[in-house]
Amino acid sequence: MTTELVSEPEAAIVEGPRRKRRQKLVPYLLIAPTLIFLALFFAYPMVQGLILAVYDDEAVLPVLDKPTIDGNQNGQLPQGSSVEILDRQGNLIEGEVTSDLLTELWFRVSSEDGAQGWAPETRIRVREESSDGTPLIGTVRTKLGAEADPLTDLFEVPNESSEVAAKVEPSVRVAIEDTATLEVWFQVRASGETADELGLVEGWAPSRFVQIFGDEVSGRIDRGTDGVFTTRFVEKMVEDRFFGPAWRTTLILMVLILPIQFVLATLMALVIHARVKANSLFLYIFSIPMGMSDLAVGILFFSIFTGNGLLNSVLEGVGILDDPKVFLSSDTRNWIIAAIVLAELWRATSIVMVIVVSGLQAIPDETLEAAELFGASYWKRVRYIMLPLLKPSLQVALILRTILAFQVFAVVIALGGGEIVTVLANETYRQYFELRNTNVASAYAVFILLMSLASAIFYLRAVRTQQETSGS
Amino acid sequence: MSTPVIPERKPKLTAGRLGTYAGAIAIALWIVIPIFFVFSMAFTTQETVRSYPKGFLPFIPFSTDTMEFFLSSDGVAEGLINSLIVAVITLVLSTALAAPAGYAISRYLFPGRDLFRLSILAVRAFPVVVLSIPLAVLFLRIGLFDSILSLALMHTALTLPTTVLVIASVFASVPYELEEAGQVFGASPFQAFRYIVLPLVLPGIAASSVFTFVLSWNEVFAASVLTLENRTLPALLLTRLSSSSDAFQFAGGFFLMVPSLIFMFFIRKYLFNMWGQVSK
Repeated sequence: MTTELVSEPEAAIVEGPRRKRRQKLVPYLLIAPTLIFLALFFAYPMVQGLILAVYDDEAVLPVLDKPTIDGNQNGQLPQGSSVEILDRQGNLIEGEVTSDLLTELWFRVSSEDGAQGWAPETRIRVREESSDGTPLIGTVRTKLGAEADPLTDLFEVPNESSEVAAKVEPSVRVAIEDTATLEVWFQVRASGETADELGLVEGWAPSRFVQIFGDEVSGRIDRGTDGVFTTRFVEKMVEDRFFGPAWRTTLILMVLILPIQFVLATLMALVIHARVKANSLFLYIFSIPMGMSDLAVGILFFSIFTGNGLLNSVLEGVGILDDPKVFLSSDTRNWIIAAIVLAELWRATSIVMVIVVSGLQAIPDETLEAAELFGASYWKRVRYIMLPLLKPSLQVALILRTILAFQVFAVVIALGGGEIVTVLANETYRQYFELRNTNVASAYAVFILLMSLASAIFYLRAVRTQQETSGS
Repeated sequence: MSTPVIPERKPKLTAGRLGTYAGAIAIALWIVIPIFFVFSMAFTTQETVRSYPKGFLPFIPFSTDTMEFFLSSDGVAEGLINSLIVAVITLVLSTALAAPAGYAISRYLFPGRDLFRLSILAVRAFPVVVLSIPLAVLFLRIGLFDSILSLALMHTALTLPTTVLVIASVFASVPYELEEAGQVFGASPFQAFRYIVLPLVLPGIAASSVFTFVLSWNEVFAASVLTLENRTLPALLLTRLSSSSDAFQFAGGFFLMVPSLIFMFFIRKYLFNMWGQVSK
């Protein structure tokens, strides 16, 4: 008995903290998958995106004193600088051959009379291959030109600057024993105007970073390997001819849409809150646009405004128009904007409505009943009780809607094609997709992000100061 | 007290009610008419789509001509299948990741809980546009570009925060006392969860999954940026907008809208769970 009495509390002590620790760990284990996923596919790319906008990771190319990776750096050439090509050499590739390399293939060959060594593929014609494509037997090519040395050099190692191991006659049959892939390196020197800025930079660089012009003695640095921070992309964005129109149109659309939208959403919410018959049907219909793709809404309003669309048909049916009016063309910019405003009102009012309805539901019925009892008309109840109590909901809805308004995209493309009327998201897409300019696209994305943040902070501040003034 | 109030209220109410009905019907028509028009265009002949004026809507001749033309167009069948696969992967991934997290938020008080909730809220408000470009670069780097999977991962990142919050509110609506009561009567914690909580939360979780599906089906920007050959339906439609006929666009619009029309009907009760709580 005594042993039992002792062991029980002991067991409790042992188990107590263990269970507690497990309990403490459980919530973290439960949220871990979400956290890891968001870190990988949200936070990490977000940081990368910020970096892309201000960091050029191909800005400068270091040139080396010899054509190998472990050579010492002679200097740096910025991307795009013109260079003279001084020399060219193959260099053995360690590891895998990727497709962007300019390469030379070398063979180690041996002839029947015992000559052995390495020769470039250009000197050997392959005659026989094994079933998997490995060259087995070849013949030495004949050199062209009268003055050329008729003998072909075989080198000690696969490199033209190495020792010559043997010389072989043209057309000799050789066994191909081994192959090596070389990457071509160029010895480059900053030329002309480039040199004035940089001093005389000279050195070796792998061919994949150098673009060679037709004359084979001049070229330019295609891309670099070292990055630098730069405002180049931001400047390029600001100077882009679509940047001004894009942000102006985005703001104009916001100013035109948001006030009407909030009035309409409040009206819809009041209708739902009035709990008329068939309330659930109305709620369903009112919330349909919430689940609609913005592209689908763009197509809906395209069907209305297009030349032989609903609006023209109705206007002619009523007798207002004799001929169809063209609404969506480059001459009718204002009509396109009007169509976008209507489409956005149609599409995004529902989400505001849902937020307002749940705000209304949080208002106790007693409050409204009391007001009614004291003779407040419906309008007065809305104006003096509901709207003030709805302020937090409206604020949240306003922040949400503003952030969404900065992203308006597919509706604009569907109704205006994206050229006549353009918005920030469309420019991001154009820079990325059509112009293949990832960094400038990122700059646009960051701009949208900053505008969204700024507007959220602005709304939060505005409401707080209002509260402070009314409180004091 | 209540008897004198009622006769006073009644006449006011009917007048107000009439106005409310008129408003409700007007707004409902404003929402329904464009959808009806595009649907009727999607199920008629291509000549009718081109014709002008179109006359009164219900008499537009019914035909599957436009639909057949659309479905047999190059890339449309693949686009539909791609969209379906992406949306299903997104639904599964998003729900599987979010369910435990939602449970943790609603059931446990742990240090960092509010921070987690807040950051999830902040993530949800983030612009899609901002995320797409760097993700495209990332996927390009790891060799996942232009794949269905990469788009599903992106859509999961977009929908995950919403799903977490919705599932948390669904769990919160089932009192913990029920689970405790089950355990008092001898159920293990797992059994209590499996037989008491799960049946109660399943409809809510299903609703949020359906909404995830619709969001992924609808998403245009990321789909256009992340895919090239393996276009989903919205991305395909977007790139073909300028070069395709009206009939093609209307039929495409029909396919874009159908899932949301059907699914919104089933999940309309849960909309407030999804969006209502942002204001709290």
